[in-house]
Formats: sequence, structure tokens, C-alpha cells
Amino acid sequence: MSRIFVHFVAAVAISACLIALALPAGVYAQSDVAKIYKANCVLCHAADGSGNSTSGKALGAKDLASSEVQKKSDVELTEVIDKGKGKMRGFGAKLKPDDIKQLVAFIRAMPKK
Amino acid sequence: MKLTRPFLCLMAVGTVTLILSTCRDSRAVPSYSRQTGMPCATCHFAPPELTPFGRKFKLDGYVFRTKPEVTEDKDKDKKTHDSTLHLLEALPLSVVFDTSFTSTSSPQPATQNGNFQFPQDISLFLAGAWADHVGSFAQVTYTAQGNHFSWDNTDVRYANNHDLFGKPFAYGITFNNNPTVEDLWNSTPAWGFPFTASNVSPTPTAKAIINGALAQDVAGFGGYTMWNEHFYIGGTIYRSQHLGGPQPNPGTAFGFNIRGLAPYWRVAWQTVTKNNSLEFGAYGMHVKSSPNAITGPTNGYTDWAFDFQYDRTIPQFKNDVLSFRGTYIRENSSLGAAFGAGGASLIGHRLNTVQGNVEYHYGTKLSGTAGLFNITGTPDPLLYPQAPVFGSANGDPRSNAYTLNVSWWPQQNIDLAVQYTGYLRFNGAQTNYDGTGRKAAGNNAVFLLARFVF
Repeated sequence: MSRIFVHFVAAVAISACLIALALPAGVYAQSDVAKIYKANCVLCHAADGSGNSTSGKALGAKDLASSEVQKKSDVELTEVIDKGKGKMRGFGAKLKPDDIKQLVAFIRAMPKK
Repeated sequence: MKLTRPFLCLMAVGTVTLILSTCRDSRAVPSYSRQTGMPCATCHFAPPELTPFGRKFKLDGYVFRTKPEVTEDKDKDKKTHDSTLHLLEALPLSVVFDTSFTSTSSPQPATQNGNFQFPQDISLFLAGAWADHVGSFAQVTYTAQGNHFSWDNTDVRYANNHDLFGKPFAYGITFNNNPTVEDLWNSTPAWGFPFTASNVSPTPTAKAIINGALAQDVAGFGGYTMWNEHFYIGGTIYRSQHLGGPQPNPGTAFGFNIRGLAPYWRVAWQTVTKNNSLEFGAYGMHVKSSPNAITGPTNGYTDWAFDFQYDRTIPQFKNDVLSFRGTYIRENSSLGAAFGAGGASLIGHRLNTVQGNVEYHYGTKLSGTAGLFNITGTPDPLLYPQAPVFGSANGDPRSNAYTLNVSWWPQQNIDLAVQYTGYLRFNGAQTNYDGTGRKAAGNNAVFLLARFVF
């Protein structure tokens, strides 16, 4: 019984390690802006921008493809990302202006709803 | 000054009145807050209770940040072999300062009742992002009783996110020193209720091994995954690492010396909507241990546990949150080593622990919690021997109690708490439980705490 336990948990731990070490290097090549989006926005807005992540649901994150967001001008979107709005913190201290510009374009490219 | 019961009641009522009369808006600045730019209340209903955002922040390795960094990105043209750098500009340090007062209904023999501790403890944290995907919750704590700093709860993790079968797939590796400290919910022992407690009032002798017996006495390495933001599975393997003991570990003078590896496992399912967060799960651990040695006879412990947590945000009440949490732990133990050494009168034992609590969060300013626990198990007069205050006259591990706690957060980083624990049974009996005439209710305790986090 105990050996089965040990082997099971060891297998889970080792598998997670191997996945962690293997995945980033190869399979998932991403553009720079996709990486920026993943590192900074996915937590709340989800990978598809819908805001349907657990954090996004709890905080009421906007659907980035919605007309409410898409009707904003580039300047307005830039300002929200830079300075934050409501529960969203500003990323201006961390991201460069060019990164924010790319993010705005990334949001614009999301399939409209 | 003798602290009579009416005086203590008056103090408690006065404190609560003060709390209710002076609530105001607030912000807090520990290192995660400094790193993310977000208030404590984004991650906590009330520390350490995690919101869905807080759970995701922990799942992702404590690395999310919005604040300035020292950076160097990879050479996009691949003209060099340089690595990237994403380093927080400020070292992620935080401090917790606790000062407290404890009074029990009956004083412990030959000790002063009405015990002030200034401080009860001081914790220093290295808590934040170390690199892109590596972060920590690392704590060292000074306690008044030990009069020194010692390593406390620690969880250093690597985490990343990808898609698997078209759904979000988070995974990571954790190094930690306390089974369940890596967990995301507040229904398991390391982060369960009571979230603060007296360290001088008596507590029952019998305790499942996963319920804190190995805390800071082991080193663990494990992995975890969360798929589709619903299914969580994790496992960690532990070995003994005795703080303050010689290295390599000879095992002497330590009650638990893990033989081989001790596996901890965890599965959970969660669902989150705008106003609801629900989790059901199971966890457990298997330990083979030699007391005071690393060879020879062993004691074996297998813990099976189930837990749940439900947090309901109530829009009609300005988004106050009502939380329910519970866990059941079944421990089957085979105490061959203890039996052979005369420390147990039989080999096979059972121990059942039920814990549950309900908490109402009045915004982020105030919370009131009612909790209870019940412990039952195999009676054994050698395993649970008679002794003043902490022993059992009949060798019965049964204990049950309720705990009431009111915490006021005048700011999100200051906790002023009043807590009362009432025992209905302690170490097997209501009266004369220790053979010296002490009642279970004699251990009823009033605990006042002032906690500052900065």
C-alpha cells in the first residue's frame, strides 16, 4: 500500500517537473506581444480575452472583445493599460510604451462579439 | 491584578464596541501588494483567506506584478546567447508583528494567568517574485517563548501556464516544509481556521499527523496542476529535516523521523462564478517514522481527508462575503515502534478529526467566525498518558470545542482580534480529565491579538 502511494505521488511530482522543463522551450513558440499578454493580462482577462478566468469572474474583468471595450479609442485603451481603471492596476510602471501599443493592437485583433 | 471573568467579558465587549464604532476605509502594503499594486483585499477576503484571484496568484507562483523591474530581454535577432532578466526593483520583504493577551478560565498550575506577550511573535517574509516563473512565500519567525528566530512556513515554487486539450493548464513545482502549506484553499490544516491563535493556552493532545505535526520539520518537493481552472491535482514527497538538529540527521531527540519518503497527495474540484466560489476535495498523507532514530521499528500513519469550501458574495449586502469551510480527517496508525517501547498499549489506532467553520465578512473591515472541532479515536492510556493539564486520566483522545472570533481590520494590514475558545470535552472528559481535578472548561480561553502587517 505504502509503496503504491510513494510511487503514485513520485510519478505525479516527476511528471509535473518534466512537463515544466519541457514545455517552455519548444512547443509553444509565441510572439512577443502574446508573451506580454500572457504574462500580464491572462490572469484576469483569460487567454481569449473573455474575462472568464476564475480571477476575472470574481473581479468582474471586462471581455476585451466586447463592444464596450472595442469602441474605446486607442488612446483610451492605452490610458487604461498605463494607469489602470477600477480594480485593474496600471502597468505603465512595468511595461514600455511600445509594449502597451502592441497590446492595444493585440486587443484590437481579437475576434469581435 | 486578578482578571475575573466579568472583567474579561467587559474587555471583550468594550473591544467589540470600539470595533463597531470606528470602522473606516483602508489599504495595505505587504510585499505581494507592493509587487502587484493591488490592495490586500484583492487576494484575501481577510488574510490569510484567499479569494479566487489570490488562489490564482499562488497557483502561478507568486509572480504576477505590475511594478517596475530591472529587465533585459533576449536578443530577438539571436545574435547572442544571453539570458533574460526580470528582477523586481525592490526586495519583496514584509513583516508581521503580533502582540497578544491570553487568559484561561483556570490558570495552569504554578503559572501566571492573564498572559501578555509583547511580541507574541514577529515574522519576516521573503514573499514575491524571484524571476519570471519563480516566486516564494518564505517566513522566519521570532517567538517570545523560544526567544529566537526560526524558519517558519515556506513555499518556493516554479509555475507556468499553457493550454491542454484547448483549456487552460497551470502547472508547477513546489519546495515546501509543511504538508498542506502549498494548498490553495483555507479548509486544509496549514491555512485553516483559527487563522490566529494563542500559543500558551492548552490544546488537546491527540492530533492527526497531517494536522500540523510535521510543520517546519520536513522538506518536501512536489508538483501540481490545475486544468481548465476546475481540476487540481498535486503531490509532494517529504523527508525529515529537523531545524536545529545535527546534519546529516541522526534522528535522536526527534519524535518523527520519516523512513524513506512520505507522500502527500491532493485532488480538488472548484468552480467560480461572479458571486460564488465552491471547492470539494480530498487530501492525505502516508508516513512511516522511527521515533528518536533513523533505523529500527517504525510507526505508520495514513491520513485520508476530505474538505470543502464555499464563499458566497452577497451583492445585496454591499458584496459582503459568507464563507463555509470544513474538513474531515481519518487517521489510521500502526504504532509498532511505540508499542515495542511501551508507549502504546496496542498497535492499531484510529483518529477522527472534524473541523468546520462559518464566517461572515463585513466588507474588508470586519469578520466574525464561528468554528468547531471534534476529535475521537482509539483510547490508549499509554499513548495518551495521565499528566497535569496536558494529559488524560482515562487515555481517551476525545476532545471537542468551539471557537468564536471577531477580527476588525481598521486598515487592511492591521488585524485586531478577539477570540474565545470553549471546550466541551478535553482529552477524554468534561471533568477531572487529567486526574488532578481540572475541568475541560478550565481551558476555555480568551485571546486578544493585535497584528500589524507591513
